[in-house]
Amino acid sequence: MKLPATLDEAVAALAAMPAAVPVAGGTDLMASVNSGLLRPAALVGLGRISEIRGWQYQDGHALLGAGLTHARMGRPDFAALMPALAAAARAAGPPTVRNAGTLGGNIASAAPTGDSLPVLAALEATLVIAGPGGARREVPVSHLLAGMDMLRAGELIGFVRVPLLHAPQVFLKATGRTGPGRATASVALVLDPARRGVRCAVGAIAPMPLRPLEAEEWVASLIDWDAERALDPQALHAFGDYVAAACIPDQAPDGTQEQLPPAVLHLRRTVAVLARRALGRALS
Amino acid sequence: MSTEAPAADAPQPEHGIGASLQPADAQAKTEGTFPYAADLWAEGLLWAALLRSPHPHARIVSVDTTEAHAMPGVRAVVTAADIPGDAAHGRRVHDRPVFAADLVRHHGEPIAAVAADHPDTARMAAAAIQVEYEVLDPVTDPEQAFAAEPLHPDGNLIRHIPLRYGDLEAAGEVVVEGLYRIGRQDPAPIGAEAGLAVPRPDGGVELYVASTDPHTDRDLAAACYGLDPDRVKVVVTGVPGATADREDPGFQLPLGLLALKTGCPVKLTATREESFLGHAHRHPTLLRYRHHADAEGRLVKVEAQILLDAGAYADASSESLAAAVSFACGPYVVPHAFIEGWAVRTNNPPSGHVRGEGAMQVCAAYEAQMDKLAGKLGLDPAELRLRNVLATGDILPTGQTVTCPAPVAELLRSVRDFPLPPLPKDLPEEEWLLPGGPEGAGEPGAIRRGVGYALGMVHMLGAEGADEVSTATVKVQDGVATVICAAVDTGQGFSTLARQIVQETLGIDEVHVASVDTDQPPAGPACRGRHTWVSGGAVERAAKMVRTQLLQPLAAKFGMSTELLQITDGKITSYDGVLSTTVTEAMDGKELWATAQCRPHPTEPLDDTGQGDAFVGLAFCAIRAVVDVDVEMGSVRVVELAVAQDVGRVLNPAQLKARIEAGVTQGVGAALTENLRTPKGLIRHPDLTGYALPTALDAPDIRIVKLVEERDVVAPFGAKPASAAPVVTSPAAVAGAVRAATGRPVNRLPIRPQGVVVR
Repeated sequence: MKLPATLDEAVAALAAMPAAVPVAGGTDLMASVNSGLLRPAALVGLGRISEIRGWQYQDGHALLGAGLTHARMGRPDFAALMPALAAAARAAGPPTVRNAGTLGGNIASAAPTGDSLPVLAALEATLVIAGPGGARREVPVSHLLAGMDMLRAGELIGFVRVPLLHAPQVFLKATGRTGPGRATASVALVLDPARRGVRCAVGAIAPMPLRPLEAEEWVASLIDWDAERALDPQALHAFGDYVAAACIPDQAPDGTQEQLPPAVLHLRRTVAVLARRALGRALS
Repeated sequence: MSTEAPAADAPQPEHGIGASLQPADAQAKTEGTFPYAADLWAEGLLWAALLRSPHPHARIVSVDTTEAHAMPGVRAVVTAADIPGDAAHGRRVHDRPVFAADLVRHHGEPIAAVAADHPDTARMAAAAIQVEYEVLDPVTDPEQAFAAEPLHPDGNLIRHIPLRYGDLEAAGEVVVEGLYRIGRQDPAPIGAEAGLAVPRPDGGVELYVASTDPHTDRDLAAACYGLDPDRVKVVVTGVPGATADREDPGFQLPLGLLALKTGCPVKLTATREESFLGHAHRHPTLLRYRHHADAEGRLVKVEAQILLDAGAYADASSESLAAAVSFACGPYVVPHAFIEGWAVRTNNPPSGHVRGEGAMQVCAAYEAQMDKLAGKLGLDPAELRLRNVLATGDILPTGQTVTCPAPVAELLRSVRDFPLPPLPKDLPEEEWLLPGGPEGAGEPGAIRRGVGYALGMVHMLGAEGADEVSTATVKVQDGVATVICAAVDTGQGFSTLARQIVQETLGIDEVHVASVDTDQPPAGPACRGRHTWVSGGAVERAAKMVRTQLLQPLAAKFGMSTELLQITDGKITSYDGVLSTTVTEAMDGKELWATAQCRPHPTEPLDDTGQGDAFVGLAFCAIRAVVDVDVEMGSVRVVELAVAQDVGRVLNPAQLKARIEAGVTQGVGAALTENLRTPKGLIRHPDLTGYALPTALDAPDIRIVKLVEERDVVAPFGAKPASAAPVVTSPAAVAGAVRAATGRPVNRLPIRPQGVVVR
């Protein structure tokens, strides 16, 4: 177990021992270790790297350290600027998990139910990835989650760059119980008044967050961005159904017509309701 | 005879019966210093691991342990071939192999066990055992089990009870029908199974396990090892949660085998996954009902077919089926009944005793039928129930007359008349706790509130002729009393109760309860409220015998009967105050011992038409549920459960409240979230993330509206055990409330969101 104090030291430690596994909060990793699924040869602890445990402003963006805990992201100062991310962080689990689990860990483990992922996808966040020799490269979060651009050996997620949109943002999640639980479906929706856009991402129903781009464009064209930005209930309904149909299509990808099983139909209804409510709340 | 529950202002005694005495181990448990089986240690111990079947149904072609044997650090590998004694075990019928030898009948069935000097080595060695399987099609649908090839030499039908009562041709003016499905609830004890086996110099073995039925477990172990029962000793460690037959013998037995084979202590701590794979679950049940009533809503006839999925082995299924069939009509007067019940074998995980077994599944179904009937007749659901409730002197469909107190109508009226919880409309909107949780997706416009009622009944103690006996010893020395009784405190609070009983009878405050092992006389399993009744009764008798021994010489000396003497706070005084001495003085350095037994009146098995006086006693419960349902998402939050329960007598108010709250919450889990899914016989998500237990936010406000204290004259202290009745009743109440809120039929537990959505 190594405990480097800077990002570059951590990258160096990983480069020196490629079999080592980086660990931040450990809420996913240690569960795998304890159940015997994972036997890492060595661990590189990221908990002492103070540069990635905070966040700062940077020309219209927020630069979030990958070591930010969910508990920290849930606080009011954070919520004032990135309300959807804060809501996702608060919904991510019980306090013990939120105190330990980190933003970078959520991205790196890339679980379909990771609550911050649809928010980052909707915000079109960019990852700042630290590589050997002080190298830094930037990758859109969706590229990493889709596997288009993977982390290479010895690389670590250092920061997450998130645009500050100064407009309503909503994260809603459906779970099996009232207490903390894994999402069965989640929706993140942000308004971008400067670009007159609505961006929406649906989480937990696919291996990565899904973006219903046509539905976003359509609804953005309905909104009167210079006035109250309100929509009538029918438009909200249509948006919900549009999002749900885009994410859970009737048509199988190979074109054969398939009858969706009842559980999938229910999931589609849930997505429609979440998307409708999210838009309603963002516009109210 | 009855008292309002929230009598907090009434003075409570500090000790003895009726006091809210704290458990002696409460502090250690809250501080985390209380030792459980997983904390045990012995010098030079080895670690065990089990190899479990990945298939629900397969023929074992060969088992090759050479590679595992050869691994450094591995000390022993045992398979079915290494069992010196009885290769099969089981709670009632020995139909379950310790290790599967030629056929695997459920996912997770043990095949071999390894002892090694490190837990990882043991696990790797278990994984290195080569098993060649010929995978067979699993029988996972209990309805298919009747026609399927026998899964076991004993056949697929474990028990069939065709209960016939009254005139089978009778018919009512109003008929309602329904088909109901109840899922698989897991007891999910908070501490997974763990144990330590230590070989003895005499060739025997000691098992340190959190057993809830130590003597049966000892007998199973002795039979398996081919030893005399007195060479095997089960020592009960702290029990980390038990709402079922705790401890799966399938892992205890290999533990002792490995200790005997290696001559070293062997320890095993199950992972959460193994815990889900190993122990018994609540019976998934399919129920088909037809209720006949007259135009006034009085029940005429109930017809029902009940199918319990017993899983691969019989376990306690026969008792569960007896309870399901006997209570299929609920606490209602039914003149005619035709109830058929079957428990069948499948390749699903084994089902067994989980509290309220059988009774809980039928309660959900008959109460749904009562709601349907009320709807059809246009009657208020509570009113319809009141027209049919059972009372003392009425006859159950088994032909047994209810002789114990049965204040069912009073229970129902109490919950009905309790004020409904207010709507949160006066609070700011952010503070509303909607379905979906705080800051969740709930939207006030889509929320419907519903109110539902349920009446439940359970039997107490073993049924159908089981010899329910317990033995206890009380010792007094130097003014301190000790209770020795093999009744396991599973968290139900028996040891606290034993202290209170001795305090009450002997007037001695300092009472210790000895830890349990099988060198003590048997007290039977800790289930169905047995220990409150039989072990509590045995402790009381033994304490009374000690009292007589203590007072007899004094009474003789003063020429009065012992009844005229009383002991309080360690002082003995006579009724007239002439005599006054202390217990210590009266004992004069002597030790007083007494042992007594309690054996309630015998019962008889149900005959081939389901008739017989099968139960020692019955307990009843009424619950009114208030739920909020998000009718677009299908999410449900239970707002409040108002409980009225028939408890006979309150022995420890704080403990009773905790038992009722715990039971109600377990029922809420069964109603909403707890379902161990087993597609194709394979357990999916055997962890506490996938298997969603209720959290603090899911547990509703539980209002104990009334505790009816009508003493049951045949029970010690007149008290009825209290844990099972709320488990049985609350799922049905929640389902009723959801039905009222949504208008959907809600015929499945746990309630699925898609069954609740209103379009």
